[in-house]
Amino acid sequence: MTALSLGAAAPAAEEPIKIGVIGEESAVAGASITKAAQMAADDINAHGGVNGRNVEVVIYDDHSSASDAVRAFQRAVNEDKVSAVVGSYISEVALALEPWSARLHMPFITPGAASTEISRQVHDNYDQYKYTFHGWLTSAFIAQSVCDFQHDMLVGPYHVKSTVVVSEDAAWTKPLDDRYLDCLPKAGIKVLDHVRFNPDTTDFTPIFNKIEGEHPDIITTGISHVGVQPTVQWHDQHVPIAMAGQSSQATTSTFWKDTNGAAEGVITATAAAPGVALGPTTIAFTNAYIKRFGDSPSYDGYSTYDEIHVIADAIKRAGGTDPDKVVAEMEKTDYQGTLGRIKFYGKNDQYTHAIEYGPGLVTGCFIQWQNGKQVTIWPHDKANGKIEFPSFITSPR
Amino acid sequence: MTALQILIDGFVISSLYALAAVGFTLMFGVSGVLNLAHGAIMVVAALVGWWAAGQLGLGVYAGTAIGILAGLLAAYLTYFIVVRPIQRSRKIPREETEIFVLTGTLLWGIMLQGGLAYLFSDNPITMRPLIGGITTIGGVRVPWNEIMIAAVSWVVIGLLWLLINRTPAGKAMLAASMNPRGLTLLGFDLSRIYLLVWTIYGVLAGTAGVLLASFLGVSTANTGQLTASAFSIVVVGGLGSVSGSLVAAFIVGYLETATAYLVNPTLRPIPALVLLVLVVYFRPQGLLGRR
Amino acid sequence: MSALLRSKVAWVAAAAILAAAVLPLGVSAYVLGVLTTAYYFGVFSMAWDLLFGFAGEVNFGPTFLIGLGAYTAAILDNRGLPIPLCVLAAALAAVIGGMLLAMPALRLRGPYFGLVTLVAVLLLQNAIVIFAGVTGGEIGMTVPNVLSIDARVNYWFALAFMVVCGVLLFGLSRSAIGLILQASGQDPIEAAALGFNVVKHKIVAFAISAIFSGIAGALLVLYMGAASVGTIVDIAIGVQIIISAVLGGRRTIIGAALGAVLLLVAAEWLRPLGQLNTLVVSAFALAVILFFPDGLLGYVLRPKEQG
Repeated sequence: MTALSLGAAAPAAEEPIKIGVIGEESAVAGASITKAAQMAADDINAHGGVNGRNVEVVIYDDHSSASDAVRAFQRAVNEDKVSAVVGSYISEVALALEPWSARLHMPFITPGAASTEISRQVHDNYDQYKYTFHGWLTSAFIAQSVCDFQHDMLVGPYHVKSTVVVSEDAAWTKPLDDRYLDCLPKAGIKVLDHVRFNPDTTDFTPIFNKIEGEHPDIITTGISHVGVQPTVQWHDQHVPIAMAGQSSQATTSTFWKDTNGAAEGVITATAAAPGVALGPTTIAFTNAYIKRFGDSPSYDGYSTYDEIHVIADAIKRAGGTDPDKVVAEMEKTDYQGTLGRIKFYGKNDQYTHAIEYGPGLVTGCFIQWQNGKQVTIWPHDKANGKIEFPSFITSPR
Repeated sequence: MTALQILIDGFVISSLYALAAVGFTLMFGVSGVLNLAHGAIMVVAALVGWWAAGQLGLGVYAGTAIGILAGLLAAYLTYFIVVRPIQRSRKIPREETEIFVLTGTLLWGIMLQGGLAYLFSDNPITMRPLIGGITTIGGVRVPWNEIMIAAVSWVVIGLLWLLINRTPAGKAMLAASMNPRGLTLLGFDLSRIYLLVWTIYGVLAGTAGVLLASFLGVSTANTGQLTASAFSIVVVGGLGSVSGSLVAAFIVGYLETATAYLVNPTLRPIPALVLLVLVVYFRPQGLLGRR
Repeated sequence: MSALLRSKVAWVAAAAILAAAVLPLGVSAYVLGVLTTAYYFGVFSMAWDLLFGFAGEVNFGPTFLIGLGAYTAAILDNRGLPIPLCVLAAALAAVIGGMLLAMPALRLRGPYFGLVTLVAVLLLQNAIVIFAGVTGGEIGMTVPNVLSIDARVNYWFALAFMVVCGVLLFGLSRSAIGLILQASGQDPIEAAALGFNVVKHKIVAFAISAIFSGIAGALLVLYMGAASVGTIVDIAIGVQIIISAVLGGRRTIIGAALGAVLLLVAAEWLRPLGQLNTLVVSAFALAVILFFPDGLLGYVLRPKEQG
């Protein structure tokens, strides 16, 4: 049934295995998904494919629209006959696709969304929703990583004792902030205030002024819908307190250009960065991506690259593309990729089918923008630089 | 301290809102056009300006100028490709011209947005400040750039006022806004007046776009919101009334700023929205508009 | 003459519906899925056309009524209510909301009515985001108990719904009420002079538009399995509805449905273009509006105007 594979040749005597990839081509993060998926497929095929069959990615643009994504999903499953779908970094889109993955029995994984709702539904209705996987850290674990970072790198060396949590008032930040308020005190940092702002805010001056008045040692952020604006205003107004936390826009490679360098000193959580070996394939993938596309991958590029491999391996172990068998194999995933060691939480864990968080597994990393480059500063053993703050920062020092 | 902060911060944002709204209302007042591609034109100016300044390496002053020119060009395209054909079309009944202009400019705005997103992605960008550094006013830290933005907005608005009230071309525009048919009877060429108003509009929208990018940052995803915000201010002030838009811009700007400072940053847009509802229900012609 | 026209059109329409009904036997579930959504949008556009084409009122926020219906159904569905009750509640919510909006708004003339409808959408959007605990906020909410998971069942249901709505709305537009509405829309002063209560008739038109929009909105989310601001309330959706109606031909009712289906199918057909398909479809729609303002069916179905 399977053709003999000879070394690096990919005979593909049978039909290729198709994986649908839904991305947002007009967004830098969304475009990374489709590019990384293509690279993953090429790499897999160069090493013999899956049981002799080539992997083919079928790409769809959803224009950042959930209803468009649903139609793309329907097309992928019913017309293009894919065996799995990798899709989107937007929580709204992932949540709109989840019921369809259940309805059409199609394994589906999101490489970039953060909402805890995705895994909650799998947990609460396992038999129906087991086809969905959450291929990135949930908001709760993103917050945990921020707490761990601040504990390791700021409490000790910089004597940081207090913070103000600032996040956009959105559904994804509710579990994030809940976790912040819980784990920051446990890390030794007192939360002086918790500011939530309207996501359509364009003028952040009142917010920065308020925070400054409370004299925290650091600002802990939870922003995604905004990023360029508050950063530029923070820089232009010389707000003397550093920002560290989750700032999704700050993870993109174009952030420096978009802010005309105001990004200097900003610290954010991300999946991986150039020059850091979080896993065995991180550096090779990053370099190959930069060579092919001219820019480094966004955070979901790393997760997409890994997850195409995860799906391919699951199909290999399952001996075919039967959805229930593939799902069963995906649950057994123990894969060393660009993110680190990827395993998924199980049926009885709180965040069923989400990526397991922890040292030795996947923690993401923290980067600081310095002179136009993303310098990795955490985890400590993978760091390739030291923390440095711009001159107008007086806290932390 | 907080009072001074609110005063200064509110002043800058209000001036910017005013600049963005004035062009919109002038366009309606003089030529009856509700240009729903307004946000898109501002974003064109902002993105082209950013690209010219940074990517082409021309520096922030040349970039700003190029951005404003791009806004003007986009305005002209809007007029010649969409609005003028509709206004002159024999197939569209007179009383339905408005809805067609609305739908047409809406579609055109979507096209501009799509094209820009294709070329630039939907990442937000900012223009480098025209003047860097900060200063203190009465103990409040203010970037020089913000002061400059407010100043430029007011200079532009002042020039506009002079144009409308002190030049013959401007007076013709004023007359056209009150009685277009009467004007043609007197021998004025309406199409030249329309061209003039689109030129002024283009410069206003272009400047607003570039300054917005400098202070607040702009992305193609903002396009709809920018149009809606200018629209809201113009409605509150009175469709077609330039002074109304100015007053409304300041009311809305200060309402938003005060809410963010004194109440809760989550609720920032709410008071302005409530004001909009009240105006539309109880005084739909706006604060300074005429029925 | 017009009877002959109507019967010719009726035969063509019947043939089209028959073709649509047997479609599932030959096409993939993907095509059915796209058409299912398109049929619901067809109802949105037809409801809009009744209000605009006949009552002369430009509703910039059809998604206010649709959103009220959709979210009511979604919230009740999550609480475990049976689907028919959810849909009924949706219709009620849309009508009540519509009346709250219409009664003060219909006293306004010209662009001001349109402004009120736009403001209504903004209010609904903000309300949904603020009350995120109930509505899921900007991420949206799942609708657990759906109409059906079978593509064919969903398709036939949507088709039947659209046909029923189309017949009702078209019939209404050609009835006495429709003629009065048309008169009120085109020349309200004369209509009032003739003794018709213009405002009352417009309110009725608004209520009808609200019922259909609300039910269609509920059925759409009961098909999609999820409701969010971006899929149901956003101004962009309203734009799509308005353009569909203008594209198909104002005041033809059926044209609106045709326009809606065409727009969605065209966008899907152009999917291989990737990022630029929206631009191409918009350009096409703009061209139609500029060169064929009466729309695709306008020339055929427009009731002839006197003098």
